[in-house]
Amino acid sequence: MSVKAMTNLVTYRGGVGQLSFILHRVTGLGILLFLVIHVVDTSTVFFFPSLYADAIAIYRSVPFMIGEIFLVFSVIYHGVNGARIAIFDLFLVNKWEGRTPHNSVLWTLVISILLWLPAAFIMSRNVFEKLGL
Amino acid sequence: MRYSGLLLIPLAWGHVLIQDVLVGVDRIDLNYVAMRWAFWGWRIYDLFLLVFALAHGINGLRQVVLDFVSKKLIRLINQASFMYWLVMVLIGIAALVGGVRKP
Repeated sequence: MSVKAMTNLVTYRGGVGQLSFILHRVTGLGILLFLVIHVVDTSTVFFFPSLYADAIAIYRSVPFMIGEIFLVFSVIYHGVNGARIAIFDLFLVNKWEGRTPHNSVLWTLVISILLWLPAAFIMSRNVFEKLGL
Repeated sequence: MRYSGLLLIPLAWGHVLIQDVLVGVDRIDLNYVAMRWAFWGWRIYDLFLLVFALAHGINGLRQVVLDFVSKKLIRLINQASFMYWLVMVLIGIAALVGGVRKP
């Protein structure tokens, strides 16, 4: 694959719309990956109850707790961005072109980060506690 | 996608807020799950979350995969996606209905 073909692959239409498209897919796929693992680990409470503590012990490790903070961001961003897309498709169909969608991409990021910060603060405090800092 | 997504905003955000932020993974163990599921309302909440989150997520994965493969594989991918959803939902429902078994 040539360099040009590879650039084309990541810049389908370009701009901030492309950025939100990629973020939406990456966060969605990331959440699904965790969701499937999470259904299996929780189901051990019925199938193999003695293994549940081992599964939770993995989530209590520092790398997973940091991953959990990013997982929470993914869930918030995917929801806010999904709501943005739904609002445009249902109520603002004639506004898909022009500045409004561009501004809304930035607003989506701002709203997501604002919703995420309090959660990230509480969760990172738990990480620091675990590290003894 | 739109309707399951709309439903998942309160369901998934509520779940994340309670379990990840307010309770935290350090306080979750077998007893905690047993205590939560002692109330049937939480089992129904978890059932909705299980069914709709998996449907929404696997449907999204199916759409991403269909963007990259030839038309000949569409049927196979549709069937595989449905089976994947069914198997995951059945595993989850078995645990939800069976509940916590103390070792």
